[in-house]
Amino acid sequence: MSSLNNFTPTGPTQREETLSVHSQAESLRGATEAPFRRAKPAAAREMLKDVGLRVGSIVALVFAWWVTSLFFPPTLVPRPWDTFAEVSAIVSTGNFFIEMGSTLRRVLVGFGIAMVVSIPLGILMGTLRSLESFFEPPVILGLTMPGLIWAVLMIMFFGLTETSAYAAVAVTIFPMLAISIWQGTKAIDKDLIDMSEVFHASAWSKVVDVILPQLVSHLLAAIRYGLGLAWKVVVVVEMFGFSNGVGYQVVRGFNVFSMKTVLAWAITFLVVMIIIEFGFIGWLERSVTRWRPRVEAWRR
Amino acid sequence: MAYVHVEQAVKSFPREDGTDMLVLGGVSFDAKERGITCLLGPSGCGKSTLLNVIARLERLDQGYVEIVSNHGESGTRLPQLGYVFQDPRLLNWKRVEENLIFALRGMDVPRRQWDERIHTYLGLVGLLEFRKQYPLYLSGGMRQRVGLARALVIEPDILLMDEPFSKLDQLTARKLREDTLEICARLQQTALLVTHDVEEAAYMGDRIVIFSARPAHIVEVLDNPFSPLERDLDDVRFIQFKKQLLQTVLNLVKEKEEA
Repeated sequence: MSSLNNFTPTGPTQREETLSVHSQAESLRGATEAPFRRAKPAAAREMLKDVGLRVGSIVALVFAWWVTSLFFPPTLVPRPWDTFAEVSAIVSTGNFFIEMGSTLRRVLVGFGIAMVVSIPLGILMGTLRSLESFFEPPVILGLTMPGLIWAVLMIMFFGLTETSAYAAVAVTIFPMLAISIWQGTKAIDKDLIDMSEVFHASAWSKVVDVILPQLVSHLLAAIRYGLGLAWKVVVVVEMFGFSNGVGYQVVRGFNVFSMKTVLAWAITFLVVMIIIEFGFIGWLERSVTRWRPRVEAWRR
Repeated sequence: MAYVHVEQAVKSFPREDGTDMLVLGGVSFDAKERGITCLLGPSGCGKSTLLNVIARLERLDQGYVEIVSNHGESGTRLPQLGYVFQDPRLLNWKRVEENLIFALRGMDVPRRQWDERIHTYLGLVGLLEFRKQYPLYLSGGMRQRVGLARALVIEPDILLMDEPFSKLDQLTARKLREDTLEICARLQQTALLVTHDVEEAAYMGDRIVIFSARPAHIVEVLDNPFSPLERDLDDVRFIQFKKQLLQTVLNLVKEKEEA
């Protein structure tokens, strides 16, 4: 042991002239310790501008369509208003809700099946090296397989049943979902796993409290791409000989060479997609990322 | 209460070229009961590795770590460890109180005690009003306080701290050191604090264990002559103690270079 052990405080406490640092520290602490604040409602004008830009972009599209239609006969490029009238006819007869309902059901069931399989598989691939090696080739191969071919294969196998529609959607989007969850799992913070071990978190808690929340942004991106892909496949399946659904209606329009009908169905389809995208997925995103302050200072 | 005894701890890590790098070369010491033991040593000397061994995140090649806790009512049970990391390592998607609950649930603390515990320990670190806040809306210093509360809320036998102040700005770190010292003294908490900062060791440590550079062995163990309340950063005698400690450490470095 060194002489330091013998160092004992003796005598009355002598204080040096107290440094001003101490009082400075107290006053500065307020500044350094101030929490972030949520965005002020002054951002309302910003939001209005944002909405204006979005609406403007749609108006510009319709305008371009109208200009184009001036140069072609209406059988090739129908006028926007005629098409919109067709849309309102489709919707007002109630036809729309039945057809769109069938299509939506096929998309959602197929999507649900793909999700249920790809989330656990993606997490396992991200955590276990051997499973990664085993499942990587089929997942990558699946990703390159065109949805059209899956549609043909599934209809040949299951016949013209709902099952073939569900299967085609599920199989087409499954690889993409699995890949994004797998990559997301690989990117999770190892330090937080260590932390959860120190506090003896159960396996369930590790997945639900630590791993899944870190996958949220990957999952949301996967849902967006997955839904986009699902719409494309389901329409193809329906075109092959289903007697309902948006794809069937489009084929009907094609058979009578009514560009107006085809476009009108396409538009209803787009509207539903936009409602799902901005309404449902947007809401989902906002509600699962409430914990994250919006710091967008680097964007202009 | 609890005590920690480390006996001839040896640990090496494989290098990329296949050879082994010896990190801990036979480390032995006793931690101070009901006080803070500072593990002081140069960066990369294996202090943190030792802390991870004690936290059972790593295993020793040789030697052992003995942690004994005696609890009056339930006899002897597995010792409980609270860990404060260099980064807060909070679950940012959970509110402050939910972060504490994460630890409470993991450590099987009965649910009926949760509310009172959260209240007590968030109060101790001065964050009671931020109970429902999300961590990313707090400053760095406040987040580290949440990390401290999470470690304390399980009422650990041993509190482990791995350079918990090193990523904070000077003033925030100074305030948090003061508060941590006061809290540990009030709770009579047995704690291990890893640091490479000599001043921090002099200020925080009731016992200071000085590590050599890698492969680490203990060069000196000394008890702080000042009690926690006497450690006044502006006191001439305390400043003198810090200088002596610094000199000791510098001499060690010099000896090492000459050898």
